Amino acid sequence: MIFFTLVALFVLQSGFTYTSATDGVKAAAMLDGRAREGERLYREYNCTACHQFYGLGGYMGPDLTNVATQPGKGPGFARAIILHGTQRMPRLGVTEAEADALVAYLQAVAATGTYPIRHVELTPWGTYPELHRDGR
Amino acid sequence: MAAEPLRIAGRGTASWFLIAGLLALWTGALFGVIGSWQHVVPGVVDAIPFVKSRPLHVSLVVAWIFLGALGGVYHHLPAIAGVPLHAPRLVRVHLGIFIGTGPLVVASYLMGRFGGREYWEFPPVLGIPIALGWSLFMYNFFRTVAKRKGPWPAYLWMWATGVVFFLVTYAEANLYLFPHFSSNMVRELTVQWKAYGALTGSWNMLVYGTSMVVMERITGDTAPARSRTAFLLYALGFTNLLFGWAHHIYPVPSAPWLRLVAYAISMTEWIILARIIRQWRGTLGEGLRQRHSLAHRFLFAGEVWVFLNLGLALLISIPAVNLFTHGTHITVAHAMGSTIGINTTILFASVFLIADAAYDRTVRLGFWLLNGALVLFWLCLIAAGLVKGWLTVTTDLPFQAIMDRARPFIAGFAVAGAGLFAGLSLLVWRAAQGLLVGGMQRIARDAGTFAPGSTTPSSGPPHR
Ligand code: HEC
Repeated sequence: MIFFTLVALFVLQSGFTYTSATDGVKAAAMLDGRAREGERLYREYNCTACHQFYGLGGYMGPDLTNVATQPGKGPGFARAIILHGTQRMPRLGVTEAEADALVAYLQAVAATGTYPIRHVELTPWGTYPELHRDGR
Repeated sequence: MAAEPLRIAGRGTASWFLIAGLLALWTGALFGVIGSWQHVVPGVVDAIPFVKSRPLHVSLVVAWIFLGALGGVYHHLPAIAGVPLHAPRLVRVHLGIFIGTGPLVVASYLMGRFGGREYWEFPPVLGIPIALGWSLFMYNFFRTVAKRKGPWPAYLWMWATGVVFFLVTYAEANLYLFPHFSSNMVRELTVQWKAYGALTGSWNMLVYGTSMVVMERITGDTAPARSRTAFLLYALGFTNLLFGWAHHIYPVPSAPWLRLVAYAISMTEWIILARIIRQWRGTLGEGLRQRHSLAHRFLFAGEVWVFLNLGLALLISIPAVNLFTHGTHITVAHAMGSTIGINTTILFASVFLIADAAYDRTVRLGFWLLNGALVLFWLCLIAAGLVKGWLTVTTDLPFQAIMDRARPFIAGFAVAGAGLFAGLSLLVWRAAQGLLVGGMQRIARDAGTFAPGSTTPSSGPPHR
């Protein structure tokens, strides 16, 4: 009985997770055709082996959530690194068109929100405002 | 357990799952050592750059956990169900599919052909044979246990849950292939981690179920797996598998309620931690007395690691703490502590029991090297994570400057990793040897050296 209640709740929660609980992103954060291509390339070049979004991914390189909008960085900077690599990031053989798609993807990602969270006003029960506020 | 005549069918194949698993573990750990050193000495082992060594490491060691658990289930199920496996031939088909797919995954990584999400970075078509093989396993499992009479012990519930939820979450992990998910990055990331949370939950179910079975086999005491506590632990584990996943993604801007639910659910695991402490107060002496038994020793080490990792997991599931630890090497410490300290240790207990190996000098050295190096490994990762997390949240230092501060700990982690690999190698060697020798004996027996159904003292106690 408990078992089936849990499973039913799981199905319900899955439904919400697939829809309303992840619905509220801005229009600029929705991936258009080119950004979708960028998302595919991000997988094909396995950028995730070294990079993170929202702190999720590999640890060799920096988190890329906001690289496309960060002051002093931005799309041109990202594009150059993607094309040429650096001392620590290998040159992966990305073409110019692919770099544009990857940058479009990074721009859409940057529009979803901010990471890392620097807000450290903690509540007594151990949470912080971003968890409660509709902080998108 | 009067199941002697049944134990033949499918057991040889079960051993091959274990041998394939040990091979995956050894090669996967080797790639792990390479990958860790690539963080310390950029560009080392040029032939297998980090983009390749990381997925090779992750996929192979995850394969070990599944193969190790599968081998154990196939091996023990007939005795538990009291009937032979429903379809021994399907076990061989399953083995064939897995052993055929593994090299394809490795080859695609080596050729730099990716395409999947983190952890399953191979081209998604290769997921089809994996799901197919698993479906055969699921069919065989349920058809076999359906013939069993009486209520199920907790470990059968755990196995059944692991079997079903692997497939559910594996399907879920592939939802990104549909635009409804991939066109919204927040949704895609949320669903990915929802799937992974339940995926690790499902393999933990398989592994913890195995640990209960091993315990029952070595003590002969069938009561614990039928006790209320066992079912309480199962229910807690299951609830966390279903609803605890969002503690992996506190910073992701999904609906806040999702993450608050996960926070609340995660905190129920303090009950498990408290129970372990209480239980130890009573049985620590017993555990130490039993240390001469090889399987016992590994199970006991596994329990210590459960304690350490659960403590760490509980701390980093508190959002205020997670703010500093998320996206740092502390997450890696948690992942490595669980997959090596808990899963691998328990699976070794199971494999050594099946292989009927003795606690000789090689195994002892391997055991202590593995556990000793793992402590250092774990502590270095935590230290590196603390440095990275604290400096990321509280300063504006650029990434490389932060990593330079954490570098000494990462070097320590890479050194410890090499020690860990040495220990693992010894254990893998002994376990594989035991399985192969056992297999030879079985072949000799099946060829008529012994009458079928006779108990054979030379191959150890019949309840294995
Ligand atoms: C082998 C690991 C590795 C892979 C694979 C990799 N990167 Fe990097 N990347 C790095 C490292 C390390 C840095 C930091 C470079 C530095 O500071 O010199 C970096 C930096 C960057 C930066 C600049 C970030 C910043 O905030 O300064 C961008 C953008 C970037 N990478 C994008 C990508 C993309 C897109 C891909 C996939 C096509 C990719 N990287 C694949 C390791 C990697």
